[in-house]
Order: sequence, then structure tokens, then C-alpha cells
Amino acid sequence: MTPLQWGRRYLMCPPEHFDVLYEINPWMHRDVKVDLERARDQWEHLVDALRAAGAEVDVMEPHPDLPDLVFTANAGIVNGDQFVPSRFRHPERQAEVPYDIEWFEQHGFVVDTLPEGVSFEGAGDALPFGRVLLAGYRFRSDAASHVHLSALTGAAVRSVELADARLYHLDLTFCPLDDRRAIIAPDGWDSYGRKVVEALVPEPLELGLDDALRFCANSVVVGTNVVMPSCPPAVGRRLEAWGFDVAVSPVDEFLKAGGGCRCLTLALDVVL
Amino acid sequence: MPAEQVEVEGHIIDSLILAKVLDVVLDAGADYRLVEVEIGKTSTDPSRARLEVSAADDAALSSLLAELQVHGANRVSSTDVELVPCMVDGVLPAGFYATTNLPTQVRVDRRWLDVENPEMDCALVVLDDLTVRTVPMHRVQMGDRVVVGNDGVRVHPLERPRGPSPFEFMTSEVSSEKPKDLLVAQVAERVRDARDAGGRVLVVCGPAVIHTGAGPHLARLVREGVVDVLFAGNGFAAHDIEANVLGTSLGVNLTEGRATEHGHSNHLRVINEVRRRGSIANAVADGFLGSGVMYECVIGGVPFVLGGSVRDDGPLPDVHTDVVAAADAMRAHLPGVAVALMLATTLHAIATGNLLPAGVETYCVDINQAVVTKLADRGSHQALGIVTDVGLFLRNLVEHLSP
Repeated sequence: MTPLQWGRRYLMCPPEHFDVLYEINPWMHRDVKVDLERARDQWEHLVDALRAAGAEVDVMEPHPDLPDLVFTANAGIVNGDQFVPSRFRHPERQAEVPYDIEWFEQHGFVVDTLPEGVSFEGAGDALPFGRVLLAGYRFRSDAASHVHLSALTGAAVRSVELADARLYHLDLTFCPLDDRRAIIAPDGWDSYGRKVVEALVPEPLELGLDDALRFCANSVVVGTNVVMPSCPPAVGRRLEAWGFDVAVSPVDEFLKAGGGCRCLTLALDVVL
Repeated sequence: MPAEQVEVEGHIIDSLILAKVLDVVLDAGADYRLVEVEIGKTSTDPSRARLEVSAADDAALSSLLAELQVHGANRVSSTDVELVPCMVDGVLPAGFYATTNLPTQVRVDRRWLDVENPEMDCALVVLDDLTVRTVPMHRVQMGDRVVVGNDGVRVHPLERPRGPSPFEFMTSEVSSEKPKDLLVAQVAERVRDARDAGGRVLVVCGPAVIHTGAGPHLARLVREGVVDVLFAGNGFAAHDIEANVLGTSLGVNLTEGRATEHGHSNHLRVINEVRRRGSIANAVADGFLGSGVMYECVIGGVPFVLGGSVRDDGPLPDVHTDVVAAADAMRAHLPGVAVALMLATTLHAIATGNLLPAGVETYCVDINQAVVTKLADRGSHQALGIVTDVGLFLRNLVEHLSP
């Protein structure tokens, strides 16, 4: 078993301006108030958990007009020193892009952009597994973006159609653990997508719909450490039997906006 | 049925996207045709598929296209055709689109319209009621809107006939080394199938049909209603009449095989007698002609077109001496033709082959392999050659069609 070759360096953004100001997924309700103090504590706790697991965390400056900037997973995808920024479907998040590009340019990345007219929401909808980039489409990213993604990065992209609006990004349904294993939530995919993942992942850890909706798949893996927003006992036992150490880092303030642990991080050390 | 081409690209095989797209089309009750598929050689190479989807109506097609777009299958962008009016009768605008004999569509006002009568080497004219016709150069008139350039025109390659057919049975297009009886049996079956499906049978014949003594067999096929329309030249009709009035063909006695005295002028004398009567039909009406292929055509009301040529004797009064008028007369009989039998004739076979849409199954029977090759070289790829004596072929065909 070879541990993941990536996931030891993350970009995060503190929730100074985090709030639910608009509704662009089924989890967001403007009448639900965010407890900012609690959000800050949970975010700090996640940073500590990642560092304790052996990861480096880079922190970007928050922006008062961009409440969802905390969800750095959606900034784009990283491939070595290449950064492919997202093209957000919703105008509410499109203003994040120039800000993300600026950060990556300042940190020595080469920025390659997708053509206009396609939607793609970064690592939220594209996660590497082995030599393949598994990419989700329908709610936030277009299937048509995948061919451009492949052309820009040189990666073999396998497209999976997301089938449940509550699991609107791929990273709510899929979490690579190592070169053979992944946490998967098949309820989030159509029948073709299930077959694609079945063919791709030799040893899946399958989540039921309830656990998927608790964002168990939206976890961060650092070597043999898995940092999860919550962990049902059966999942924990299985992960431990496979030799992983599980750390639970609750992020329920962020669940109000439809994001978990993975959504708050963007791996900076991915090489496709 | 309205149709549109879409293209899907990427790792569409491993992602099952291509399979899904095809399923989506079928699940919507629509149909597809794969126009082009390029499959990546390695797992990292992208693949690409272009397919034409067709649905029952425009609304169904547009909702299907919207659904396909979700899976990354985008409409292949296309433009309307450019239409330029003719300025002079019989002269096409420069840059006119030159047709093939394949099923063709043109895009006008963002709709794909079928060309009604595919024919090679013509121009396309879009009429005011949005029908599109192939029109030969000499027939265009001032003001006709003619398709110019290739944009907005698409040509559909012909599918091989499905189910057992002589085209499948034959591995090569022309062959003298195939079991003839089996081949004739299959041609007979195709003729029967075509007629059962409401198609018409065209026979194009040369004088060798009469010289070889096969006239009575063909006459029987006409009498029994197997032949719907007949194209030939002055020679065929003259020798058929000669054979049935005087018992000779080019002066050779058809029952004894001997040349008769002064027989070389026999055909001239019968042509002269038919000319005296004004038409072949009149020659039948007054009893001068009482049997044969032409007789059966007249009696059975089977239309025929006799095309003239420079070396014709006479000619018979029914012969079109204006070749352009002859071609137009032939065109008028082509709608509905599903099978064409070209029997021992080079010039009429090629002339007819040029007029036929590619969808017409064409069987070219000749003792000379070059005739069939020539037809194929000129673009009639749908022609199947049967290299044999036409007399034997027809006798055999009659046995299969009316045992």
C-alpha cells in the first residue's frame, strides 16, 4: 500500500468574513445565523489537526466581500507548479477568482485558465486517484470542462455525473485514502459514475446516504491520518483496521454553507 | 426527422460518457448515427465521437440536445447554406455546389432540409416552399436560388443494405468467379423484396439482350409485371421488333443461328414500317408488332424511354433524338425506383447510373467486366457487377421470379 503522494501542504483562509449571505446549494439558508466565534474556533481546530497530522498550512488573507473564500478547495486545481483557477457557476462566487489567481501568482505558480463558457469548481469537483483525475459534473462543473482540464494538465480525466443536489460537489462523495482505497458515497452518483469508480478504486470504503450527508467523505487525508468532520463508528473501525489514525474536527458552522473539512482546504502539492 | 450533429470529447470511453450519451438518446426515443469516432490509443489520450441524433420533431430534438449538453455533448456548429440566384437560364452561379448521388441535406434558416432527388453532377436549388431539388445545369432558370460553396451542406454516406443481400454475399464488387446461379437467386430475391416494399424495378438494356436470344425472357418479365420501367436505345427496340416481326436479330435467324439472305437490312425495314405508323404503340395497335419486349411494354402500359445516339439507324419514331430531352425523360421515371438491372449495355448503363440516387441497388450484368468497373469509376458505387452472358442471366432470373 502506498500512501497518498500529495496532501501534506494546504491552502486555507480564515473565516473572518464567513457568513451565509446567499443560497446556492440546498444547505444554505440565509435565516440560519453563523456563529462566527464558533466558526473561528472550528477552523483553528482544523488547522491544528492538520498540522498535528504532519501537514503544512498556508493561510491566505480573507476578503470582506467574499464570504465563501474560506472554501479554498474551490479556488482551482494544482498540478505541480501549475494552477488552473475555477470558473464558478454562480456569480456570487465568481469574484473570488481574481483574488485566488493573485495569491497563486504571488506564490510562484503558473496560471493556466480554462476557456470561457465552461463551469468548473476546482478541487471540489476534481480529485486525483492514482494516475487519474476523477471529476464530477452537473451541479457546479460542466462535463465539457473536463476535456479542457485534461488538455491543460495532461491528466486522464474520468467524468462522474453527480446525482444528488445535496452532494453537489465530488468532494462530498469521494475521498482518496491511498493508492488503492477511497471513501466513497455511491448515492451521489448516477449508475455510470458508480461503475466508473468501481473500476477505478480496488478497495472502497462505502458510505451510506446518511453518513454521506454528514459530509464524512469531505475529509482530509495526510499520509495515514484522516481528519474528518464526523466519523461513524463503523467507518472509524474500518479506517483503523486499514492502519489510518482518525481525528474528528467538527466544522458544523461551515456545514451551514454546505462545506466540510475538505472544502476548507486546497492541497498545494498535487502532481498529476 | 429533424437531426443535428453533436460532438463529445475527452476520456469518454473510460468515463462511460459515450455509452451514457448513446443511452440518453435511445431513452428519449430518439435515434443516433455515429458519424466519426476516434478512440485514444492510451488511457491518457482523449477520444472523440461525433454523432448525428435525430428525433421525432424539433421540440423533442431541442430538449434532447439540451440534455446531451449536460454530458458534454455539444452541437457541432454549422451555418446556413449560401444561396445565390441564377442570373441566366441554364447557367449556374460561379462556385455552385456540385452534387453527389448520396442522400444530402442543406441547412436553411437553421433547419436541415432533405434534398428530394439526389443525383450526381447537378446543382441544388432551394424553392420558396423550402423543398430542395437537384437540378441539372441546363434546367436552372433565372432567379432560382442555387446553393453555393460547401458550408451548410452535409452528405450522408450510404449504409450497406441490412440483412442478407448479394452485396454482402459478394466479397468483391465485380467478379467472374462466383457461382452464378446463387447470385441470380439473390438478385431475384432483392427484386421481389423491393417490389414487396413498394419499390419500382428499372431495366436498362442493350441490343445484346435480343442478339443472345433472351428477348422472350425479358418480354415475360414485362408481361408478368416484374418490370416497372424500361430504358434502352434505338438498337434494342429495333432488334426486338425485328426479332418479333421477321425472326432475326441483325439479320441472324434467332432459332437457327444462320445469317439470312439480305438480312443486314432487316432492322432498317422494320424501323421504316414503324416510322410509317408513327410510333411503336401504333405498330402494336394495327397488328404489325404482336410480341416481344416493346410489344409487352405497350400492352402492359410499362413506360419506356429510348435514348438516341449519333449512329442510330432510322431512328424509331419513339427515340428521343435530343439527348438532353432524353435524360430529362429518364429522370421523370426515376422516383420510386429501388432496383435497377443494367443488362448488357455500356452507354445506357452509365447514362442511367449518373441519374440514379446512391440508394438504388444496381445490378450490372455484362459479359465484359470493364462495363461494371467503368460504372463504379464514375461514382455509381452501389453497382454490383455480375459478369456473365445476359441470355443465361435472364433465363435464370425468369426461373427464379416466375417458376
